[in-house]
Amino acid sequence: MVLDFNTLYTYPGRFERLFEDFFKPMYGGEGRRPVFPPLNVSEDEANYYVRSEIPGLPMDGLELTLTEKSLVIRGERPTEQGKYYRQERPAGFFQRVVALNVPVDRDSVRATLTDGILTVILPKCEGCIPRKISIDVA
Amino acid sequence: MNENTSETKALPRVSPAMDILERDDGFYVYMDIPGVRREDLKIDINETELVVTGRAPQGASDKETFLEVQFGPGEYTRAVSLSDRVDRERIKATLTDGVLTVFLPRLEKLAPRRIPVQTA
Repeated sequence: MVLDFNTLYTYPGRFERLFEDFFKPMYGGEGRRPVFPPLNVSEDEANYYVRSEIPGLPMDGLELTLTEKSLVIRGERPTEQGKYYRQERPAGFFQRVVALNVPVDRDSVRATLTDGILTVILPKCEGCIPRKISIDVA
Repeated sequence: MNENTSETKALPRVSPAMDILERDDGFYVYMDIPGVRREDLKIDINETELVVTGRAPQGASDKETFLEVQFGPGEYTRAVSLSDRVDRERIKATLTDGVLTVFLPRLEKLAPRRIPVQTA
């Protein structure tokens, strides 16, 4: 099981890590990734997007929980029966926690799973989008 | 030189994680290729190898700014060498939920056969 609190959480040294990661090749050369499943977090004006590569699971095999402060992605990858010659694909239980330190519109969160890629769209709540306030000169 | 630079600008090459199993009826190859649609997937069999290539494009729109990136678009390529015991005519491949399953059936054993002798 993998547990981490990396996303949207400003831990010390995060900025340095960002620079290091930027200059490193994307998959570290050897093709091994430290955690499963890998997450991408992005935002645009209206939404936050959490994307994850979770191949081999149907949508009902995946458990998404939205708590007060976090989004939890949890599931189990099945192990195939047979005589293994090579096993590189991660198997077993996994869990990832995305810390949400931002307000989101909880009722209209949507999740889709296509071709093994999970996309969770978290709309920013109406009142939280920055607005320009015009100042009238008296 | 020019060709090289254009190649690096293409999607980065990723070697997908793979499981190879043997069961009673033959060999099963599983590959994690999330983000590849069926029409973007190619499986070629040549003399000794089975080569899988698939493109997983970037799923995000241009307007998004990334806060965390742990995977990206890529071109999956992986070759599996085929044993002589595999029946190449009956190889089957399926793609579900980002996992490619290739079934390589074992060649039916040649049963001992008696040759009838006909009298002329």
